[in-house]
Amino acid sequence: MQGWRGFRKSYFVYSFLRDPMAMGSFLCLAILVMVSFGAPLIAPHDPYDSSTIDIMDSEMPPLWLDQSDARFLLGTDSQGRDMLSTMLYGMRVSILIGLGAVALQAFMGIFVGLVAGYRGGRFDAFLMRLADVQLSFSTYMVAIFFGALFQAAFGMGRYEQLAVPLLVIIIGFAEWPQYARTVRASVLAEKKKEYVEAARVIGLSPGRIMWRHILPNTLTPVLVISTVQVANAIMSEAALSFIGLGMPVTRPSLGSLIKAGFDYIFSGSWWITLFPGVALVVLILSINLLGDWLRDFLNPKLYKA
Amino acid sequence: MFAFFIRRVTQAVFVMLVISLIGFTIKQSVGDPLREITGISVSAAERDALREKLGLNDPFLLQWGRFLARALQGDLGNSFYFKRPALQVILGKAPATLELVFSTSLLVVLLSIPIGIYAAVRPRAWLARFFMGVSIVGVSIPVFLTAILLIYVFSVGLGWLPSFGRGELVTLFGGWQSGYFTSDGLKHLILPSIALSSIMLPLFIRLIRAEMKEVLETDYIKYARAKGLKPGRVLLVHGFKNTLLPVITVGGVQLGTLIAFTILTETVFQWQGMGAMFIEAVDRADTSLIVAYLVFVGALFVTVNTVVDLVYGLVNPMIRIAGRR
Amino acid sequence: MKRLLLVLLAAALLAGPALAGAKTLRLAIDADPVSLDPHVQLSGGMLQYSHMVFDPLVRWTQAMDFEPRLAERWERLDPLTLRFFLRKGVKFHSGNPFTAKDVVWTLERLKRSPDFKGLFEPFGPAVAVDDYTVDIITTKPYGLTLNMCTYIFPMDSVFYSGTDEKGLPKDAIVKTEHSFANEHASGTGRYFVESREQGQKWVFKAFADYWDKNTGNVDTIVLTPISEDATRLAALLAGDVDFIMPVPPQDFDRIEKTKGVQLITMPGSRIITFQPNQKRRAEFKDARVRQAMVYAVNNAGIVQKIMKERATAAAQNSPRGYVGFVEDLQPRFDLERAKALMKAAGYEKGFTVSMIAPNNRYVNDEKIAEAVVSMLSKINIKVELKTMPKAQFWDEFDAQVADIQMIGWHADTEDSANYFEFLYMCPNKETGYGQYNSGNYCNPRVDELTLASQSETDPAKRAAMLQEVERILYDEAAFIPLHWQMLSWAGSDKLKNAREIVNIMDFPYFGNLVME
Repeated sequence: MQGWRGFRKSYFVYSFLRDPMAMGSFLCLAILVMVSFGAPLIAPHDPYDSSTIDIMDSEMPPLWLDQSDARFLLGTDSQGRDMLSTMLYGMRVSILIGLGAVALQAFMGIFVGLVAGYRGGRFDAFLMRLADVQLSFSTYMVAIFFGALFQAAFGMGRYEQLAVPLLVIIIGFAEWPQYARTVRASVLAEKKKEYVEAARVIGLSPGRIMWRHILPNTLTPVLVISTVQVANAIMSEAALSFIGLGMPVTRPSLGSLIKAGFDYIFSGSWWITLFPGVALVVLILSINLLGDWLRDFLNPKLYKA
Repeated sequence: MFAFFIRRVTQAVFVMLVISLIGFTIKQSVGDPLREITGISVSAAERDALREKLGLNDPFLLQWGRFLARALQGDLGNSFYFKRPALQVILGKAPATLELVFSTSLLVVLLSIPIGIYAAVRPRAWLARFFMGVSIVGVSIPVFLTAILLIYVFSVGLGWLPSFGRGELVTLFGGWQSGYFTSDGLKHLILPSIALSSIMLPLFIRLIRAEMKEVLETDYIKYARAKGLKPGRVLLVHGFKNTLLPVITVGGVQLGTLIAFTILTETVFQWQGMGAMFIEAVDRADTSLIVAYLVFVGALFVTVNTVVDLVYGLVNPMIRIAGRR
Repeated sequence: MKRLLLVLLAAALLAGPALAGAKTLRLAIDADPVSLDPHVQLSGGMLQYSHMVFDPLVRWTQAMDFEPRLAERWERLDPLTLRFFLRKGVKFHSGNPFTAKDVVWTLERLKRSPDFKGLFEPFGPAVAVDDYTVDIITTKPYGLTLNMCTYIFPMDSVFYSGTDEKGLPKDAIVKTEHSFANEHASGTGRYFVESREQGQKWVFKAFADYWDKNTGNVDTIVLTPISEDATRLAALLAGDVDFIMPVPPQDFDRIEKTKGVQLITMPGSRIITFQPNQKRRAEFKDARVRQAMVYAVNNAGIVQKIMKERATAAAQNSPRGYVGFVEDLQPRFDLERAKALMKAAGYEKGFTVSMIAPNNRYVNDEKIAEAVVSMLSKINIKVELKTMPKAQFWDEFDAQVADIQMIGWHADTEDSANYFEFLYMCPNKETGYGQYNSGNYCNPRVDELTLASQSETDPAKRAAMLQEVERILYDEAAFIPLHWQMLSWAGSDKLKNAREIVNIMDFPYFGNLVME
């Protein structure tokens, strides 16, 4: 057992090392995750401490331009916050929301999809129509509704602290049907195959057949969706801040920083738009490139010679 | 087949019922429509009298019941802002969205299939990796920023393409206002379609590539190759055809989402479709239009998914949904 | 043949100048008017529309004087009655002649409109003396009669009488459904609506029989609503539209630097404030705490950095030019003083409060609120800020869910008392005064002076009363003042006199616009 694990590990490492793209994107992602989660230690300023922010410092350009300030390497935003620190903190928020929301979506969606596809019949129809109902209420309506519920439950003041879990729930809740429909379709194709019949004949429980036998064979589209969906979840949060339902302005995510950049696109203060945009592109690019490689590696149907 | 349709129609009605019920329970959260249709200095008493007149003070079940009774006659209520039947407003805005979605889908199909197949056949080629990487850039930039950047470059900077709206329209039969038949209308379509397809492309390229890679490893492809069939034919007929099932599934869901929620693209381009209409309705707390729209979209999703389910059956004979039992 | 050619040539020569004078203005506004019925809603957009399709009795000039329009002149008969002598030979778009009957009819309709009846509360029915003379009568002495006459846009009483094809009265004011007046209009204005797709495109055409020959040369106006600020600006920069309003402050520099477009700004009268709620927080009952907050807020800094100097830092409600304006009330940012006041009040350690602000109602509202949060944190008042779209904001505002709430106010009457009536009089559900006083500030003297000012017709005495109110509000720090928003427009350089047609009410008089 130990030896097999060792082999697998070494093969994993071997094929990883052979692929510069995978290595590069992994390195990139690792650095981004480390600096964003280490933001309280690394960042030169604390953007969450509003008493250190001074409006008179606003819209300072990056260090290498005229009229810059030595305190602010990448310049400041419209409030006088240090861009670099705000981006680091914001990236942490975005990563949390992206991964959290996708985990929730995947969990709900895979569960519903498996059950619907495997049980079929009325059960299937019911669950799929439920998915249609959910899809009809886009992220926006879900955000408005959960926001109202939240406020009734916790009051106005707690929003700043609880916005991240709230947004994870909103985005996770709004987009599970994507997974459900995809998994269901694959299950429909798989469940007539011989191996499922065989598993049934030897008396395995439906739960075991679904999780251990059918699910692994439906993973290709699920994995594709997942890597892209992380980006989508981060985008959904940005889109919510576009209409004013995202992270609180005093706790910006990368997405809400980009929304702020949208306002400044014609203003000449280009760094407000550009830096968060570049950071987000790099983050999502490395997640996806790593995802592309990992998917190929994990897929049992591909020969890896 | 007939039984299948009857079943789906019943289900659609059920979906619409549930949506309207949920819609009515949450519409208060959107805001107070009276705020939007009266000036700010109107007294609270005056506003309340109006609210009473519109029946917005009635118990929730009574309001819902009234809505259902009217809906049976095809009336989904009146939009507060447009001062017209909500369904009429929605149908008036539908052509704009459908045309945008159609051009976008066309763009996605034309780009993702060749790139996806190429990336599957030559996974390590630098060009394949370039496409894979570039497509991600589209999805890593929020669509509202992509949209404004496109406008910045192609309208403000270069002056090649118009910056907003649908341009010159032609009215076809049934009041369908189309931008497909004038050069001005087509020009207006270009930027929004690119912006919208930028968020769809990476998903489809990846999906096609991943599925194609799997298929290429199967025995029947090897057999077909060994038999000496033309490589192109092997790829398209034997290979690609078998990747269609997941692509159609995901495509179905995405198509529905596109039609319903091209919100931000439409807003930035001032494209007068259903998405922009919906977000404006939310902005104005036009609750009756919102509920009508949600019900409409629910019906739309059921329809699209029914079509997708039917297509499964055609593509993959192993699945028999239609007419089973 | 020759003769034909000559005729053609002559025709071409005659038609030439007329054609050259025909101009189309492409206009982009953030939102289009909600109806064709000017009485259906009291909002900036509807009044802009009214100035295009209708004419008021009198209108404001850029210098805030009254300019005669459909009323040629007027005289005060007694403290209650103002007699107007109407312009003769004016035609409505329908071809009906304009007479005093239309004024009487319009005022009666205004008093029925849910939105306007509040403003016209002091007015009794108008009386037509003859076809071209009408008496406007108030029920008690009223200092703002002429101000209110800028809201009287006479409608075509014949056109709007009777019932439409659905059997409904044509003069009904209907907010949410079909009505004749929502879809048809007949005014005396320079333009009539040729076609209209709500939320999409409006086409206005010049009215051939317009009474005022001294107009600009724009004979077609195409109005497109563009809700996104960035798109609206892009449309102007790309040359797809000729005139946009409003313009966000962060883009002012860009427009000024760009060739071929001009930026027009003007001090506005909408005051942006925060109201600390004394009912929710005992701390705010202490005037020293409220003063400390005012001293802590660097509103000049917000004006400079967030509003890009396109706003005026405020210390009172009335902008310069209003009767209540007091010269020596100046912004008082002084952090040390603020800290001292907090200490004196016993709140040196500070406390935590909640705040709400809209994020799509006022210019840069969200950014302003955010800046105020960090300013207040410097005197140890920790603020938990929640911003939300305006559709949800007003319900929350009315429910007073937060300890500090943002509100902006523009006086519909263009008069100081209006601010006090709505924002600072003791809240009273019966009378409706203090409707937007979410600070629950209450000072009987303010109520007394404001009410007295309503029936005071001596301008000097009235000004003294209103100035005293401003002083009290300032001394007691009833609210945290920020600034008066500036109004902003931008247009192509082809618009020759764009600077002259705008005004502080944000009703550009497009009828007077001259295009190259």
